[in-house]
Amino acid sequence: MDEESMWKGFYEKLQQQKSTEEKVHESKIQEVDDSFFEKFGSLLKQVSQRAALEESTPLAPLKEPEEQDGEQKDVADLQGERNPGHDSDSGNETLLDTDSEPEDPEKIDFYVEAIGWNVDELYLEILYEILHNVGGCDMGCEVGQQVMLSYVQEAFKIANEKHTQLLTKAEAKEPPELMLNVEVVEAKDLVPKDPNGLSDPFVTIYLMSNSSQRYNTSVKSSTLNPLWEEHFSLPMPANLHEDSLILEVWDFDPAETVKEKMTKIFEVKGVKGLRKLMKEIAITASTGKHDNELIGTSNIPLKSIPAGGMTMWFNLSKKSKLRRQGVLKLRLNFSSEKNSQVAAQEHRHLLRILLLHELESSKVAPYWWCGNFSAPAEAILTQHVAQSGLSQSDNWLAQWVVFCAVTTDHPLSFSLFNQLLEKITKPLQSGLVNEEEVKLFWDGAKKLLPTCYSHIRKLRKKTAGDKTVMKTLREVLKILYRLSVLDVPEYVDLFPVNLYGWLRDNSDGSRLTIQEVLNQAAVQGAADWFVHILDNNECKDRTEDSRLQHLIRVIQLVRSDLQRAVEYFDRVFVEIMSFPYSKVLYGVYENKIASLVEPEVIQVCKNLKRLQYNEGSTNSVYLAGGLNGETGLGTPQVDHEPLAMGTTLFELYLALQRFLALGQGLNETEWSTYAISKFHSWFYGGVAQWLDIAAYKALTRIEKAVDLDNLVPVDTNVKYSSSGVDTLAIFYQIKIFWQQLAWPDVEGCYTFVAKIVDDICRCCVFYSDKMAGRVDNVGTISTVYEERFEVTNEWCVAINNIDYVRQSLQPFVRELGMDEIVQNMCEARSPLEAQRCKETLQNVMANAIDTVKNKILDLLEIMVKKMMPSITRFLIEGAELLHQDCSSMDRVMRYLEANLDTLYQHLNNENFSRTLDIVWEQLGEVLYELIQANLEKRRPPSFFSNLHECLNIMVRSFRQDNKEVYTSDTLKRVEYLLKIHGMETRELIHQYHLERWQEQQSITEPKMGVLTVRAQFIDDNLKIEIMNARNLMPTDSNGLCDSYVRVSILPEDMFASVAKPKTQTHSKNLFPLYDEMFIIPLTAEQRRITDGLLHFVVKDKDMFSVSNTFVGEAYLHFSEVPETPAPISSLSQQHLPLSKPDSIDGDAIKALESRQGDKQAREFLKKQRQKMPSKQFFSLG
Amino acid sequence: MVEDNERDYGRNTKKNVLLKIVILGDGGVGKSCLMSRFISNHFDDHNFHTIGVEFMNKTTEVNGIQYTLQIWDTAGQERFKSLRTPFYRGTDICILAYAIDDRSSFNNIKMWLNEFLHYAGVKNGIEKFPFIVVGNKSDVSSKDREVPYEQLKQWCDENKIATYIETSAKTDSNVVEAFSMAVQRWADLEQKAEKELRMLHHPDTVTLHGASTVSSIRATCCSRFSNV
Repeated sequence: MDEESMWKGFYEKLQQQKSTEEKVHESKIQEVDDSFFEKFGSLLKQVSQRAALEESTPLAPLKEPEEQDGEQKDVADLQGERNPGHDSDSGNETLLDTDSEPEDPEKIDFYVEAIGWNVDELYLEILYEILHNVGGCDMGCEVGQQVMLSYVQEAFKIANEKHTQLLTKAEAKEPPELMLNVEVVEAKDLVPKDPNGLSDPFVTIYLMSNSSQRYNTSVKSSTLNPLWEEHFSLPMPANLHEDSLILEVWDFDPAETVKEKMTKIFEVKGVKGLRKLMKEIAITASTGKHDNELIGTSNIPLKSIPAGGMTMWFNLSKKSKLRRQGVLKLRLNFSSEKNSQVAAQEHRHLLRILLLHELESSKVAPYWWCGNFSAPAEAILTQHVAQSGLSQSDNWLAQWVVFCAVTTDHPLSFSLFNQLLEKITKPLQSGLVNEEEVKLFWDGAKKLLPTCYSHIRKLRKKTAGDKTVMKTLREVLKILYRLSVLDVPEYVDLFPVNLYGWLRDNSDGSRLTIQEVLNQAAVQGAADWFVHILDNNECKDRTEDSRLQHLIRVIQLVRSDLQRAVEYFDRVFVEIMSFPYSKVLYGVYENKIASLVEPEVIQVCKNLKRLQYNEGSTNSVYLAGGLNGETGLGTPQVDHEPLAMGTTLFELYLALQRFLALGQGLNETEWSTYAISKFHSWFYGGVAQWLDIAAYKALTRIEKAVDLDNLVPVDTNVKYSSSGVDTLAIFYQIKIFWQQLAWPDVEGCYTFVAKIVDDICRCCVFYSDKMAGRVDNVGTISTVYEERFEVTNEWCVAINNIDYVRQSLQPFVRELGMDEIVQNMCEARSPLEAQRCKETLQNVMANAIDTVKNKILDLLEIMVKKMMPSITRFLIEGAELLHQDCSSMDRVMRYLEANLDTLYQHLNNENFSRTLDIVWEQLGEVLYELIQANLEKRRPPSFFSNLHECLNIMVRSFRQDNKEVYTSDTLKRVEYLLKIHGMETRELIHQYHLERWQEQQSITEPKMGVLTVRAQFIDDNLKIEIMNARNLMPTDSNGLCDSYVRVSILPEDMFASVAKPKTQTHSKNLFPLYDEMFIIPLTAEQRRITDGLLHFVVKDKDMFSVSNTFVGEAYLHFSEVPETPAPISSLSQQHLPLSKPDSIDGDAIKALESRQGDKQAREFLKKQRQKMPSKQFFSLG
Repeated sequence: MVEDNERDYGRNTKKNVLLKIVILGDGGVGKSCLMSRFISNHFDDHNFHTIGVEFMNKTTEVNGIQYTLQIWDTAGQERFKSLRTPFYRGTDICILAYAIDDRSSFNNIKMWLNEFLHYAGVKNGIEKFPFIVVGNKSDVSSKDREVPYEQLKQWCDENKIATYIETSAKTDSNVVEAFSMAVQRWADLEQKAEKELRMLHHPDTVTLHGASTVSSIRATCCSRFSNV
C-alpha cells in the first residue's frame, strides 16, 4: 500500500527541478544583496511578526490563524528548500518537515489523477454496487440511486461519455462466479530504463482474452527492486484453460511532452494554473498516450495455477531481448467471491476518492473535517462495505489508513482520529486483526504522528486561550496516549529519520517511545521558539544598553511563552500524557538563556565605568559625604550613560529573577541544578554600581527635597516638614531596591547591607548639612537699633527633620533584614562569624546614628550661638542698670522666654533639654567672658552681684524639674565666680577662710603637724579645749619650736567683741601639751551664725623680734562643734592638720587681689602673704 | 541600642575629625589583627577569614587633635573583590598591608594600590593621597623574613608613598604608631592642600575660610562626615 511514496517521489522530483531552477535565481539575489542570511532573517522576521500579531489577537477565530499558518509554512518551506547548503541544519530540517506539513489541498487533484491504478475498474465496481444496492440500508433509502450515480461520477471525475459506457457495462455485468486473486508482491533485478540507471516500474496485469481490461499497480519510482504488495481480483472467463494471465512491467515515463510541460511548472503562477497543468501531465501518463517503456512481460497460463493457489517468482522477458529482464513475485489463487483484502483495498481507494472529493467540494478548512461525509458518499460507502462483506473493524481500519494518509496533505480533525483510535484499539489489542492489517494500521499511525508532533511543536502559533485550540491539543494528546498504550510491532519503524529531522536517537540505541518523542517535540518546539525569538528581536545597535535591552526582551518573551504553557497547556499535558510540559520547556529555556545572558552580563559588568561626577561647577554644592570633592551635584554635569546602564542591568537582573522564580515554582526540588539558579553571581560587579547609583540618586533627591522644603510641618499632628518625609521616602526606595534585589548569597547580602547603611548614613549627614544650610539665614531680624536673632518655627522644623530622619535609621536597618542576614550567616558559616558580622552592622549603624546625633547637636549649638549676642547685650545692660531699671532684666527674660518657648513648643523633649543644656553652657561661656572682661574694667562688686542675680532668676525660671540647676561645670564655676565677685570685701575675706577650711579637709598627710582640740557649745558659750600639737615644724635654729596657740572666731567683724584667747608658750618642744580650756560667751546673735569658723593659729614665740613667727593654722567650722551639755572630756578629740596658705589659686583670694582699690582687701592680702611658707612674692594683678 | 540611648550624648565626638580608613592586602597578612589590636588592644589568633568587610571605630588623639577613625577592614580573598570594592569610595586613608614573611603578599601591594586607585576614584595622584604601607608580622624570626625593610623603603620611594612601617599585631609593636603616622600624613596633606588653595584663591592674603573648601581642591575621594 504505497501510493503515497509514489506521489512523493514524483513530487520530490518536481521539487528538485524547481530548486535547481531557484538556485540560479538565487545567486543573482546574492549578487545584489551579498548576504543571504539577512534576507533569510528578515523574511523569517516578517513571518514571526505575523505570528506575533496572531498571538496578540486573543480570541481570533480558529480558521483564520490556521490559514495564515499554512501560508507561513509555505514561506518557510520555500526558504528551507532554497538553501539546503547554507544552513544545513535548519534547512534540512525544514525540508523534511514539509512531509509533515499540510500542503495546499488543491494539489490533491493532481495526485488523484496521477495515480496509476485503475480508477475505471473501481468506478465500474461502484456503479455496479449502486445498481445492485443491498436493500434496507439506512443511507441508501434516503439517497436516490440517481443522486448516488451523479455524485460518484463527480467524485471520480469521469466524463459523461465514459460514465454512460461504464454504466452500460455495469448494467450488463453479471456477478462473476470465479475470481482470480492476484497479489503483485515485488520484483527484482529489473533492467534499468532511465538515464539515471534506475526505473520507475509499475505492473499491468490482464487476461489474454480480455486485454482491454487492464489492472495497474502503482508506480515505484527510481528502483530496480520495487515492492508493491497490491491485490487484484480478476473475473475468470469461461474458457479458463486456454486463457493466460499477462504481466507487463513498465517503466513509467512521463514522455517528452510531459517533461516539457513539467518544465513549465516554474512559469506557472498560482495554484489553479499548476493544477491544470498537472492534470494534463497526468492524463498524458495514464491514457497510454505516453512513452512508457516496457521492461518485460510474463505469460502465465491459467491452467498452470493450482486450485489452492501459488506464490512464485516469474521471469520477465522481452521479445527483442534474450536476456532476462528481471523477476516478478506473484501470489495467485482463485476464489469464488471477492477477496477480503481486495475488498479492503478497494474500500480504501473508494474512501480516498470520496474523501478527496468531499474535501475539495466542501472547501473545508484544514483540521476541520471530522468524518462527516455527505449523504450520497455515506450511502456509497455503506453499500460498498456491505456488498464487499467488510466487517466493522475492517471499515474502521480502512478509515484510519485513508484518513491518516490524507491528513498528511490535507489535515483532518484530530478528534476524528481520536475517535477512530478508540474504536480500533480493542480489536488491535485482542489480536482480532491480522498481521498485514496491523502493519497497515501502524503505517497510518506513522503518517499521522508527524502531524501530531508538529502540532505540539507549533503550539505557539495558536491562540492559547482559544477553546478550540485547547480542544485540539487535547485530541492530539489523546491520540498520542492511545497509540502509546499499544505495542508497536518490531518491524515498524515508527519514527523514520526522513520524517523526523529534529529527532535525536536514544543514546543507548533503544527505540524511541511515543512519550520520548513527545518530550523531544516539546523540547524542539521550545528550542525553535527560542531561535525564533532571537531572530526576531535583534538589538538595534551594538551598544551595551541595547544589548541588555535585547536580553530583557528575550527573557520576557520566553517567560510569556512559559506562562502560556503553565496557564493553558500544562494541565492537559499532565492529565493525558503525565507529561510535565512547562517544566520541560523551562529546562530548555533556562539553559539557553543562561548561556546567552551570562557572558554578556559578565562582560558588561567588567566594562562598567565607575560613576564619576563631573566637577567644576562653582555653584554646585559639594557633598559632605564620601563623594566629597568630586561630586558636583549639578545634574547637567553628570554623564548619564553609566546611570542608564546600571538601570538596564538591574532590569535584566529583575527579569532573570522573575524567570528563576518561575523555575522554582515548576521544579521545587531540583531548581538549584539549573544553570540560571546562579544568575546573581554574574552580577556581582554590577551591584556596586547600583549601590553607587542609588546613593547618588538619593543625594541628588535630598538636595532637591531640601530646596523645595518650605519648612512647614506636613500636617498639624507632626513637627517635621516635607523634606524629612521626602528623605525617608528615598530611604524607602533604597530599601525597595534592596528587597527587589533579594540577593540570594548571604555573604553578599551582609556586605551590601553594610554598604547601604553606610550610604544611608552619608545621606543623613548630607541631609543634616543641607538642612543647616537651609535655615542659616532664617530668624535674623535687623532694625535700625539692633540686629537680633529669633528662634523661628523653621529652625525647630529643621531640627525635627534631622531627628526624624535619624530616628528612622534603626528601623531602616532592621527592615533591610539585618536579623535574617545574621541568622543566615550563622547557618551558612559559623555563629562566631555571624557574631562578627552582626557587630560590624551594629557598629556601622551606631556610627551613623551617633554621627547624625552630633549633627543635630551641631545645629542646636549654631542656633544657640546665634542667640548669644542678644543675650550678652541684655545681660550687660541689665547688670549695669539693674537697680535703676528693672526693664533690662525683663528684656533678657522676655527674649529667652520667647525663644525657649518656641523651642519648647516645637521640639521634642529630648532636643529641648539638649537645647537648654547648650543654652546654659553657652550662657556659662558668655558669662565667663563677661566676668573676665569686666574684671579688667574693674567693675564694682554690685555689677557682678547683679549679674549673679540675673543668672539666678534665669535658672529659677528655666530650669527643668528634677534636673540639677547647673548642669555644666562652666556654669557652676561662673555662678561661683559671680557670687564671689559680687561679695563685699569682708564677706570675701570670710569666703577665703572658708576656702582654706575646705582645703584643710583634703589634707590627708599633714606636713606641718596636727593640732588636737575639743570644742562644744553649751548654751550660748563656746567651750574650747586645746589639748596638744604634734610634729610641729621647727622654726628655730635649734630645730625646735617655742609654740603657743591663739584662738579667734571668724568672721572677724561679727566676733569683734569676743576675746581671742591664747595658750601658754611651750618652749623647745615639737610635741607640746597645752591642756588649756577656754570658755567664750557668745551673744544670741553670734550664736546664730552658722558659717562661723574657729581659727587656731600656732605661732613661735620669738624672743628677739617684734613679731612672732607663723607656724601654722587650722580651722574648725561651727558645724563641726557639737552642741551638748555633756562634759567635754567625753567628746571625741578633733585632730586638725596644720597648714599655711601656699598659693593664690583660690577664687576668693583672686577676687580680693582684683580689688586693688579696697584698703581692707589690700591689708588682708598683705597679712596672708606673710604667712606664705617661702619667701616668694606674688604680684598683684 | 535603645533609640534614645544617651550613651554617646556627651559632646565627646563633637570636635573630632572623622576619618574613613580602609585596610587592604592579601588574605592572611593580619589586617583584622591590626585593626583588632588597634581598637581593643587585643590579639586573637583566630584563623577564619573576614567576610567581605568589617567595621569598627575608635577615637584617638594625634598631635593634640581628636580624630574618630572609622576603620573598614576588608577581605583579601579574590572572591570578595566585588564585595569590598564598593567601600573604597569616600576613603580618607588607605592602609596597604603585607606580611614580611610572605613575599607574594608584598608583591601584590601594587595590585592592591591599583585596585584602590581605580575603585576609590583617586584622581590627583598617589603622592597627594595618604597611603601607608604596613609590613605586618615583624615578630617572625629573621630566618622567616622574606621581605627586608630596605625593600619596603625602596618600593615606597619608587611608588611615591611617603609613609611605611613594620608592625606586629601579635606583640603589639608599632600598631598605634602606624595608625598615628597615617593620620599625621593625612593631616599634612590636608594642610598642604589648604595652603595651595589659599595660594590659588588669595595669593597675597591669608584666608580664614580655607578649611571649608579644602576638599574641593584636593578632589581626591577624601571625605569627612563632619569637617569641623
